Amino acid sequence: MSNIAHQAYLRTRLAILSSQLLGKPHLAELGRLPIDELAEQTGYSAVKGDTESARLATFERLLMQSWLDELSALLRPLEGPARRLLTQWASRYELLNIKAIVRGKMGRLPIGEIERSLFRLPGYLSLNHDTLLHTDSIPELLRQLEKTRYRRIARQALRRYEERPDPFLLDATLDQQFYSELIARAQLLTGTDRDEILGLIGRIVDRHNLVWSLRYRFNYGLQSSEVVYLAIDGGRLLNRRQLQQVLQADSLPEALQRLPDGLLRRHEMPQALTLIEAAMLAELDEYAARAMRLSPSVLTSVLAYLVLRYGEITALYAIMHARVHGLPDDLLSEALDPLHEVAA
Amino acid sequence: MIRAGLDMRHVTVTLMRDDLPRASLVLAELEAFAPDDRPLLESELPEIPGVGFRDRIRRAWGYLDRLGTIMGELPVATAPLPAIAINREQVVEVEEWLKHAWEQCAPCEAMVRKVEDEYHELENLESSLADFADLDFDLGRLQSDRGHLDLRLGSIPADNLERLREVLTLSNHLILNVAGEGDTLRILVAGARDAAETLDSVLLAAAFQPLTIPESFDNNPEALREELRLKRQELDEVTEAMRLRIDNWRDSNRQAVAHATQLLEAAEPYVSLHGAARSRGPLAALQGWVPAQRLGDVEARLKAALRLPFVIASREPGDDERHLVPVPANNRGLLRPFALLVQQYGIPRFGEFDPTILFAITFAGMFGMMFGDIGHGAIILIVGVLLRRRLGAFTYLFALAGLSSMLFGWLYGSVFGVEHWIEPLWIAPMSDPIYMLTVAFGWGVVFLTIGSIIAISNRLASGDAAGALFGAGGVIALVLYLALLVGLFELAEGRDFPLPVTILLLITLALLVVYQWQSSDAPYGERIFTTIIETFEIVNGYVTSSLSFLRVAAFSLNHVALSLAVFTLADGMGTIGHGITLVLGNLFIIVLEGIIVAIQTLRLEYYEGFSRYFYGDGTPFKPLRVGRSQTP
Repeated sequence: MSNIAHQAYLRTRLAILSSQLLGKPHLAELGRLPIDELAEQTGYSAVKGDTESARLATFERLLMQSWLDELSALLRPLEGPARRLLTQWASRYELLNIKAIVRGKMGRLPIGEIERSLFRLPGYLSLNHDTLLHTDSIPELLRQLEKTRYRRIARQALRRYEERPDPFLLDATLDQQFYSELIARAQLLTGTDRDEILGLIGRIVDRHNLVWSLRYRFNYGLQSSEVVYLAIDGGRLLNRRQLQQVLQADSLPEALQRLPDGLLRRHEMPQALTLIEAAMLAELDEYAARAMRLSPSVLTSVLAYLVLRYGEITALYAIMHARVHGLPDDLLSEALDPLHEVAA
Repeated sequence: MIRAGLDMRHVTVTLMRDDLPRASLVLAELEAFAPDDRPLLESELPEIPGVGFRDRIRRAWGYLDRLGTIMGELPVATAPLPAIAINREQVVEVEEWLKHAWEQCAPCEAMVRKVEDEYHELENLESSLADFADLDFDLGRLQSDRGHLDLRLGSIPADNLERLREVLTLSNHLILNVAGEGDTLRILVAGARDAAETLDSVLLAAAFQPLTIPESFDNNPEALREELRLKRQELDEVTEAMRLRIDNWRDSNRQAVAHATQLLEAAEPYVSLHGAARSRGPLAALQGWVPAQRLGDVEARLKAALRLPFVIASREPGDDERHLVPVPANNRGLLRPFALLVQQYGIPRFGEFDPTILFAITFAGMFGMMFGDIGHGAIILIVGVLLRRRLGAFTYLFALAGLSSMLFGWLYGSVFGVEHWIEPLWIAPMSDPIYMLTVAFGWGVVFLTIGSIIAISNRLASGDAAGALFGAGGVIALVLYLALLVGLFELAEGRDFPLPVTILLLITLALLVVYQWQSSDAPYGERIFTTIIETFEIVNGYVTSSLSFLRVAAFSLNHVALSLAVFTLADGMGTIGHGITLVLGNLFIIVLEGIIVAIQTLRLEYYEGFSRYFYGDGTPFKPLRVGRSQTP
């Protein structure tokens, strides 16, 4: 972006939007509120629906819609590779929908139930969920997917699925495509924008790779080489060779000992996967918060904001969901901040 | 229709639930009713009818689609769609029949896929054997499971090669050979036999498709060729058998498939109503938007079609509904291509100035002014008419552009670039370029002023009085722009910048600054910055936009210059070369300049016009229609 007016527009928008971020302490406070007060503060009380599940689904969609509206406002002055990069980031919702349909189909859930869990997407994310929903089997679903922009991976996924019907292989394939497209679009940027945005995406990829690789290796028992193959390119602190070394360990604690410098060093080394995930997320949030405030690339600041806002939306929905279903306070605070709970 | 959607009415049809499917079909046939699925009647009529019906219809379409994929094209009913209102029993019956039909055909589909895969494997195998024929490598070892070396021959998607190579290297395996091109590559992988499990898992993740080397490979090339030929023949026979089976099924079920398709299409309008239809017990209601001039039609057709009593009520849209009112496209006749181009930019809001007519007039005018030539215009007109079947609605655009070009060609006295055949009615552009540039600048000022006036009126229509007065393109900005022009004109004439104009400029500038400051709620530092930038942008926007119109004159001069270049080139040739150069040169001018001028005109319309006054965020009028396209 060269136009100073557009830079000013984005910085101004970002200043306003970032001041509305809730922050961890406020989220924790919300988690402690009684349900009525919580519903009032989050806008849930105005959400209508026949059942609580339907209300929660609408609430989630409203949250997502606000994220997409903000994204649209931030997209306005952007064009070319910068615009395409942020649009690709928005397509993560499309990805989540595909994963939800696959899992729903595997779990033989009724179509209506799967449909309720899907996000309603804006026009520029144009996957036809209806066709995917009304397929009889996963192979048929994948064949339908071949007719979309996911054609390239659908065929591979089908071949893998026929060999071994595991949902995570498909998940990993979809994630690979999503991030490789994101990185390919980032590579088209120039100068500071390119370096800064690749730095941020690299951190996101590191988090994804470490958490999922450990899960595949030590929870699902996959071969280390297979897990390394499934990892996404473009990490900043964890490349494929380092990941291979980490995954060749016989146990999770040993694997954690082999992590390269810079990863999970700001926290006491957690020993459970959920805690590792939380710690990596906390590190990513710190990085994104700094990038949002200080990055010389306004595009990176925008993406950092979207990452943080997405995290808050997820947390907000989780709080409301937990409260509606009567989850005890201690479990909710542990879910919101597992690292803090462990330290305590 | 200058103001978009002003004639829309909100309609509620209260009727008996049993008549709902019939009513929806009637409304769909009229294509005059856009459903409104707000829960306005939720308290009186809490149920949304036809939810289970909808799922069944979608499942039935799913089966039909799958049947279509294996049959190529589904049989189409020869008779027109009957005016029937489908009921629940029919839907159940159709779904069950289609499900059964699919169960009959599914084995064929599986077999077709299997055969396709086998063909693919056979092709890969043949190619692999050819690839490796020149290698100093005994492929017979692939058949053997002796020794420590584990060799795998197969294909992978080309995208996976680099990743696989890297990961295999990390796990002490090697890709010995890569062959093929396009999406799929054939590879030969080698590794230690005791690490076979690792290799298996990585190859699975890489979507590796192993190739089996035939028994006859090792000792007898002739036998191998024969084996592959027989295999191909076998596959051809299976394919033919499958094709016959599918054709037979289609022929014997032609009528039934066509009937099922018709019934599903008839059910679509009802299914598409969603929350726009509500009910309680036997009572139901339908709500939506209808153009006022179609209300009579709607009532008359419902009266003729419904068996049970109904009440139809209509009203004008409320103030709080303005953003929801769908706007029909102003796309009749000559305006159709221009309406499509307007829709590329956006849909007018309810009550907003619909720019289609103004766009059509100014587009034709600017195109002609930039590309004024009787001969070239006539060719554009003739091409448009000759290609009318391919061009569809865009024939009018070609015709209008050609006619305008001819008109300006007459005004400029230009025929195929020759300026001495006829006397110009107005002026030959090259005779006074400064005059042409002044005219273009003046046209720009008029265009921008009209745009600002429309913007002001659009904002007032949307209830944004502050924006109409102080916003970009508002009254104050327009006064500032015109005052600036007066001042600059005085300077250009060698006089002083008038004091009243200076005072007016300062006052309007101050008002803009104050408004921008008030509109921002950012922290002080950024507020100062954005206020300065935004105000500068408003003033600068007017100046640069006005200068942008100089291109209108520049292209009229460019046209003459290009024609001169063609004549100069042609004069350097012999008699035949002269003729060929003139023909090719004129073709070049028509195609290249024609395209560039059209793009430049569109650019002026979109960026200097629409961006100034057109919100374009309205809701398009999507009436209920018979057929499947409306299924979400």
